[in-house]
Amino acid sequence: MLSIKNLHASVEGEEILKGINLEIKAGEVHAIMGPNGSGKSTLSQVLAGNETFEVTEGEVTLNGENLLDLETEERAREGIFLAFQYPVEIPGVSNLQFLRTAVNAMRTHRGEPEMNAAEFMKLAREVSKQVDLDPAFLKRGVNEGFSGGEKKRNEILQALLLQPKLAILDETDSGLDIDALQVVSKGVNALRAEDRAILMVTHYQRLLNHIVPDYVHVLAGGKIVKSGGRELALELEERGYGWLGVKDEEATPSAAS
Amino acid sequence: MKPAPTLSNAFLEPGGQSLPTPLLELRKQRGTALVDMPLPTRKTENWKYSSRHLKLTDGLAATLPATGKDGLSLSLPGYRVVFRNGVMIPEASDFPDLDGILIQRFGDLDDADAAALAERLDNTLDSRAVQMARLNSARFEDGLYIRLDKEAVLDQPLFVVHEVTGTASGSAYPRIYVDAARHSQITLVEEYLSSGEEPVMVDSVTEFMLADGANVTSVRLVMEGENVQHIGATGVRQAANSRFESHCVGFGGPLRRHDLMVRLEGEGGECKLNGVVVTQGKQHYDNHTSIEHVAAHCNSEETYRNIAADESHAVFNGRIHIHQDAQKSSANMNNKNLLLSTGAEIDTKPELEIYADDVKCAHGATIGQLDKISLFYLVSRGIGRREANTLLTMAFINELVEQIPVQAVKDAAQLRLNEFFDQTFEEA
Ligand SMILES: Nc1ncnc2c1ncn2[C@@H]1O[C@H](COP(=O)(O)OP(=O)(O)OP(=O)(O)O)[C@@H](O)[C@H]1O
Ligand SMILES: [Mg+2]
Repeated sequence: MLSIKNLHASVEGEEILKGINLEIKAGEVHAIMGPNGSGKSTLSQVLAGNETFEVTEGEVTLNGENLLDLETEERAREGIFLAFQYPVEIPGVSNLQFLRTAVNAMRTHRGEPEMNAAEFMKLAREVSKQVDLDPAFLKRGVNEGFSGGEKKRNEILQALLLQPKLAILDETDSGLDIDALQVVSKGVNALRAEDRAILMVTHYQRLLNHIVPDYVHVLAGGKIVKSGGRELALELEERGYGWLGVKDEEATPSAAS
Repeated sequence: MKPAPTLSNAFLEPGGQSLPTPLLELRKQRGTALVDMPLPTRKTENWKYSSRHLKLTDGLAATLPATGKDGLSLSLPGYRVVFRNGVMIPEASDFPDLDGILIQRFGDLDDADAAALAERLDNTLDSRAVQMARLNSARFEDGLYIRLDKEAVLDQPLFVVHEVTGTASGSAYPRIYVDAARHSQITLVEEYLSSGEEPVMVDSVTEFMLADGANVTSVRLVMEGENVQHIGATGVRQAANSRFESHCVGFGGPLRRHDLMVRLEGEGGECKLNGVVVTQGKQHYDNHTSIEHVAAHCNSEETYRNIAADESHAVFNGRIHIHQDAQKSSANMNNKNLLLSTGAEIDTKPELEIYADDVKCAHGATIGQLDKISLFYLVSRGIGRREANTLLTMAFINELVEQIPVQAVKDAAQLRLNEFFDQTFEEA
């Protein structure tokens, strides 16, 4: 489904991603772990099309199609979804209006009729319940004044509404209390499907107890330095990143390379 | 030194023949005083950014005809009075005869009412501050006098539609005077529209006199075409415990100027001034507001938003003057500006003069662009560029549009805003 080959990306002239290779097949769940500043969010943002980052080398294809040629909105319509590590607050745009506009943009792209306000309201209420978010949050500005955990649930709500082919979840588990972690995990597991892949960035093994990954990768210094099965996560939890030749706290790209 | 330019004689031709005598006399008098009035130039501080857009050619001096077919199909709810080129069109107007409320065109006033009005006219305006309002006082052909008796309440908004026709070049001088007695209430909507293509100048004046406890809401929607210069002034005087609320929504043109002056003259007075201005192309819009806290214990709340696209230019000048005796005044002024292109320009200036010591006065102004991260967030959900930009731009003014208390105005503004967005944001 997703194929990343020798991907290099930089920001303001500084190289952050230094040759990423990754293959994800439909139905698989991949976890990416790695020290702070190693480039996990950068990879996620580059895949979603954030133009702050410049791709200097390499290629990415989604179901054979060159992803890097597409605008952000086209990528989304082709099925890429990124749950942001830091969801953006947009006061003045209601969450409901935002969600409906997004869902209808997707529907239009697929040649389906738009949903009217009433139909959408019904759907949005149902899905809100699924992530345990009070429907009152639909009326508020997008993420405006939401707590950290509420923002993360709002991200999963969007994923459930948009039904992407590839869901990239950037630390959707951080900042969640134990109950919220359950809720979010349930949401993510509800996304698991034969024809869908999930790439999740996390620091914690505990998420992986709820959402069992097929593969675990370690991203350090802008490269994937180790890949393995779910047991790799347990090993990392025990031993840290040091044994991989990566220092825990000193993991900026320059330091790691 | 070269003397400042004055009005050409073409603007000083006699007219106003259908006005009742007291108003005609007043008009003549004002005309005489105009002869050597200096016109705004680059050096006139309050016209610094706008004087070069002000065109007072002889061609514009002609009085526009009050006849001609209805250029605009109006389907307005509630009560309405329609003026074409500054003269009321009775066939297009529809308002009731209510106890305690006089709504009458100047031309139809009886001598007593006309004399009463002649005494009041201009008394809310500082003539030094609003040069162009003086031209209106010397040139109005008709106007609307609204007088609410004690405790009279107009039960629906009154729409006053001012249409100008640009089938020939000339000018129009719309004029409204609202006299609101104790505890009376009215919502007045002024809508400025145009048809035709020839250059036209609209020089409008609206005055509100609020007695104790009166409650007046003014909505002003400026939507004339590219051939129209509009210079408008609104004067407001408020007695004790009165409340004045203003909602201005303006779309740009070759020149749009609005001076809004509020004097809080009695204790416990309150005013709220909201404004939204949208400009594109090479348009120019200049808002000058002035709030005078003359009496103690008054509140003023002002929120203006400018959105400038392309190479357009918007100006906001907000003056707050707190007089020495106006203790316990509370004044809040906020102006936020959004530049949608690097070629657009916005100038904002607060002018605070505070002579009392026990006051609360806050002001803030910002100029910014659409937030790139917010835009990325929206498009990452499959939302198209145009729609995402539109959502973010609307977010900037939503709060003010939502506060407009008349649905028909909200709808009209929204339609026009959508056109603006379609022209400004290209689909990627
Ligand atoms: N917009 C930017 N401008 C400059 N530097 C940036 C920018 N975005 C990311 N970086 C740098 O790129 C490096 C990688 O950051 P990234 O956010 O991808 O790390 P991460 O692996 O997600 O870390 P964390 O676990 O803390 O979320 C960091 O050194 C960061 O400072
Ligand atoms: Mg990160």
